[in-house]
Amino acid sequence: KQKVLAAPSTRRLARELGVELSEVKGTGDHGRVTDEDVRRHLETLHT
Amino acid sequence: MVVGDLAQEVDVLVIGAGPGGYVAAIRAAQLGKNVTIVDKGALGGVCLNRGCIPSKAMISAAERYTHIKEASDVGIEVSGDVKVNMPKLVEWKNGVVKKLTGGVKSLLKGNKVEIVSGEAYFSGPNSVRVSNDESAQTYKFNDVIIATGSRPAELKVLPFDGKRILSSTDALNLQEVPERLVVVGGGYIGLELGTAYAKLGAEVTILEGTKSLLPGTDPSLTKMVTRKLKKLGVTVVTEAMVQGGEVNGDEVTVRASVKGEEKTYTGDYCLVSVGRTPNTDELGLDIAGVELDERGFIKIDNQCRTNVDHIYAIGDCAGGALLAHKASYEAKVAAEVISGQNSVIDYQAMPFVIFSDPEIAYTGLTESEAKEEGYDPVVSRFAFQANGRALSMNAADGFVQVVADKETKQLLGVQIVGPEASTLIAEAVFAIEMGANAEDLALTIHAHPTLPETLMEAAEGVFGNAIHMVNKR
Repeated sequence: KQKVLAAPSTRRLARELGVELSEVKGTGDHGRVTDEDVRRHLETLHT
Repeated sequence: MVVGDLAQEVDVLVIGAGPGGYVAAIRAAQLGKNVTIVDKGALGGVCLNRGCIPSKAMISAAERYTHIKEASDVGIEVSGDVKVNMPKLVEWKNGVVKKLTGGVKSLLKGNKVEIVSGEAYFSGPNSVRVSNDESAQTYKFNDVIIATGSRPAELKVLPFDGKRILSSTDALNLQEVPERLVVVGGGYIGLELGTAYAKLGAEVTILEGTKSLLPGTDPSLTKMVTRKLKKLGVTVVTEAMVQGGEVNGDEVTVRASVKGEEKTYTGDYCLVSVGRTPNTDELGLDIAGVELDERGFIKIDNQCRTNVDHIYAIGDCAGGALLAHKASYEAKVAAEVISGQNSVIDYQAMPFVIFSDPEIAYTGLTESEAKEEGYDPVVSRFAFQANGRALSMNAADGFVQVVADKETKQLLGVQIVGPEASTLIAEAVFAIEMGANAEDLALTIHAHPTLPETLMEAAEGVFGNAIHMVNKR
């Protein structure tokens, strides 16, 4: 099944920030991961 | 010591200037790298010089000829002879190619990429020797991108002679329309060129080894194409295993075993299009320590890196789908990785396009592939016969099919056979990349009357509420 629902630019952002997309909780429709979700996840990693 | 023995030092060396190589060189230069690109032939590689572009130019010319001949269908009477002037057609096609290769050259120069003409051979993991008729020069590099592409595969029993037994390259430069053309191999290359020549007036026979044309493509898509081929007078022989052939003067006779029966097929020319071979055999890759797979393709990881850290490979020579857009995509990944970015090969949908008549295009998963991946798919098909624009173009054969997940309605794949399928598929690829569901596609306003409306309607069909067809319940 589809790994993670996220736009190409969001997938690239996650890579640039060193975030593993599959570990991010998506808040969009059907668990879609947004740029905000990626950034929020990064903050939780650093706190 | 000879002058040429002084090695030149470069940041990034790119071997091959096809759609992989030249894009890699430009992207690396954009990211501040000092780039040198080497090619033994013309800039633009196979795609520009003897592949995508010239074949599409020929297909367009052949289509235009057909339109003129069939113009009376729409009330345009053409009186007098409509003739094909093959030398002029080829000259026009060559002009198109020249314009594009010239464009590549100015782009490379505009990005300050150094262009070197010659054949490259590894002399070690960090050096390549480039030789041409006049000289030889060694280049030392920090990183290298191998983008040497592929060439037409030869049939041992029917080797190319360039005169009667043709590769796709030769078939694009014929100075006459053959009266009879035998095509060995019913993949997309044989089908595209065979169709073009049939339209230009040749009596075409396609011999395919497997059970159907376009092996690997969804049979529901090829059915429509096979029907049209029959109308064009093309003979398609499946399960035909070619045993050999002879050239006798201006003729070539091909021997094949068809379902156990020995048969012969005679034409003025024979086009052999049975696949492509990677150009990885005359590069000295063993000297560089680069590993190949059992079919001769370079093994790469998801960053286009070979088993040797600073050696990258992209495009046809690295295997996978042998498509120009796949090569260019990998080119950007490799150049970005070399420049310190964390890029990876990461796509949800690869577009596949066949310029048959009608065109075929598909991306993502078919219904059966979706099932294999554990989805419960719903399939919705919308016919071009119900699309106003297709009818007004007098080109309404075919359909658009959407495969979506039953529960989430997420788009999994789209298959199209019909007018401008090659163009229509772009929206589907984008939708899948964005993780769109069928409702997203259905709620997007599509201009009327246009062909893309079929995508919107097929998406509505997923919910059983397409307007211009009676929905299955």
